[in-house]
Amino acid sequence: MSARETILDAVRSGLGNTAVDPAAVRRDADALLQDLPSIRPALLADGLVDAFIARVTSPKVAATAERIASASELPAAVGRYLEAFGLPAVVALQPAAPLQDLDWSGFELHDKVAPDEMIAIGVARWGIAETGSLVFHSGADTPILANFLPLHHLVMVRADTILPFLDDYAAATAGQRPPRNVNIVTGASGTTDIEGSLVLGAHGPRFLHVVIVGTPDSSE
Amino acid sequence: MQEATLSFKARAKEALADPTLKIAIDRTTGTAERKRAVAMTQFPQFEAARERGKRIKDHVIANLDHYLLEFERNAIASGAKVHWARTAEEASQIVVRLCKEAGAKRVTRVKSMLGEEIGLPHALDEAGIERVETDLAEHIVQLGGDRPSHIVWPSMHRTREQVSEMFKRLHRAPHQEETIEAMVDSARRELRDKFLTADVSISGANFLLADTGATCTVTNEGNAELTTTPPRVHIVTAGIEKLVPSMGHAIAMLRLLVRSATGADVTQYTTFHCGPKQTGDRDGPEEFHIVLVDNGRTRMLREGMKDMLRCIRCGACMNHCVVFRQLGGHVYGGTYPGPMGAVLTPVFDGLESSRDLPHACTMNGKCQEVCPVAIPLPTLLRGWRDRSWREGLEPATVRFGLGIHTFVASRPRLYRLGTAIAIRVMRLFSRGGLVKGMPGLGAWTAYREFPAPAKRTFMEMYKDQEKGQ
Repeated sequence: MSARETILDAVRSGLGNTAVDPAAVRRDADALLQDLPSIRPALLADGLVDAFIARVTSPKVAATAERIASASELPAAVGRYLEAFGLPAVVALQPAAPLQDLDWSGFELHDKVAPDEMIAIGVARWGIAETGSLVFHSGADTPILANFLPLHHLVMVRADTILPFLDDYAAATAGQRPPRNVNIVTGASGTTDIEGSLVLGAHGPRFLHVVIVGTPDSSE
Repeated sequence: MQEATLSFKARAKEALADPTLKIAIDRTTGTAERKRAVAMTQFPQFEAARERGKRIKDHVIANLDHYLLEFERNAIASGAKVHWARTAEEASQIVVRLCKEAGAKRVTRVKSMLGEEIGLPHALDEAGIERVETDLAEHIVQLGGDRPSHIVWPSMHRTREQVSEMFKRLHRAPHQEETIEAMVDSARRELRDKFLTADVSISGANFLLADTGATCTVTNEGNAELTTTPPRVHIVTAGIEKLVPSMGHAIAMLRLLVRSATGADVTQYTTFHCGPKQTGDRDGPEEFHIVLVDNGRTRMLREGMKDMLRCIRCGACMNHCVVFRQLGGHVYGGTYPGPMGAVLTPVFDGLESSRDLPHACTMNGKCQEVCPVAIPLPTLLRGWRDRSWREGLEPATVRFGLGIHTFVASRPRLYRLGTAIAIRVMRLFSRGGLVKGMPGLGAWTAYREFPAPAKRTFMEMYKDQEKGQ
């Protein structure tokens, strides 16, 4: 008997049940996701963007955030960030249209992220107010490593893509073919492996700066 | 999986005599306990969430065959290859074979307790494949040539001073400054090129999503993504109990897992891996393998240990265990230390060689209290004790001692006489409210406080009261 058959047989004999009704299992599984507000934390503020920013900048997440009115202001915002850190205007730009269509004059751009990349700029598909997270899907315009190799990661997210809870992300994508990777990024890379004390920049970015564009009801 | 050369008691004695170890354990578990407590005050829904988490896991276990098949079907549809392993040896063999088929010289690994459980580090070393541990703690363990001592902080038995010394000796460009930041940086430099030049990556999974065939990893360092993206082949090893119906269920479990483990609301990186690289993708592996491992889990189903299959490996039970906090993880001898380890190790290694573990427990119930899926750990430990007694594994001295106790305790006059004498002797050795240096009690009081008996016994007070009435 194959390992697969042995294991499945052992599971069935251990459970003692004979026939499973898939529809009933499905109903039970769905029932376990009812009344979500009673099993998840409340948001930190009433407005979605405010709640998101409050989480992003909370000590636990320890990232920085700013708001701009329109995506066209992103290059200027990046310029200010680089100046504050005294960094050169040499950046890896995620090969995504919402970023590439902007006016980056004055910057030296490349789209391949180097192992010791100093600065990378990306765009998240969603923000999550509950946790201050950014959600990326791997794809032709989203290399996975771009989120993990740079020391400074600057991420643009549109205000109208900020969802209240992680469950809302699951609901928004339910039934779709998942990408190879869904990366839910919350703050910079950190480790507590030496004596439990938190140090940022373990293997991934040491700094995460989130730029929120527009308002929840703007289409910008 | 590790063979213990010393007995549990001998290892415990060594651990208790090691002053550095106690400092290291206290630094990490103390922080973990405090952070979890703060996280709980910010999550008043914890009790309801925990009850739900328990029900989600119970639902999956009750329909495990259904979910295994659903997962397998969807994983294959996503382009993954699914393998099944009955035992630890079989699982390791599959992984080693896949590595060899990929022509792997170097593999990078993301910390996975299942990987430790099946003896994967050893199997890879035996096969002559260079193994690079990328989790910082596992990297420290690998440099130190020892074993993980905690499931969340595998190198918690090392102080910063010890880590600094190892990095200086073994890293190519070690830190100059004596700060933890500089040490972390040294590891970052050391591992960077290894991430990018490995042939195969191996990870575990915190969750397996039945409805998509995706696997989920959670890390704070970002090493999982750096590990599993560049190599041509990504292999996942996971226990069959890791299933959840969908991402929504995984999210409900994540809220419990992370708060219980580190006190954070969510890990920095939560990643779902579904199939290999897709058409047009800029990076990612071309082959994606998932090895589903039984290794005793179906036996737990059969033998009344279903509750333990809910375990999500958060480590809260050990962080709050008074015994673990004295001894650290190595003393337990198995892959999993602390209360959950004391329940699991007899499953993997047999009760005969591990019967001391269920006894290394004060039954204070703290582990069950903090468990995010409400596993009745003390009850399960008591179950092992019962079985050890029934199977005649308890040594003759214990049987004899308990026989005497039963004889005395069932004869009230004799019992009172015995305790009256014992109390008077203990008073002779009492100093500052504690019993110290009493012959026959030295081994106990060397590492524990034994309070001096009260001035008057319960029976004396009771008799006085009776007279007064």
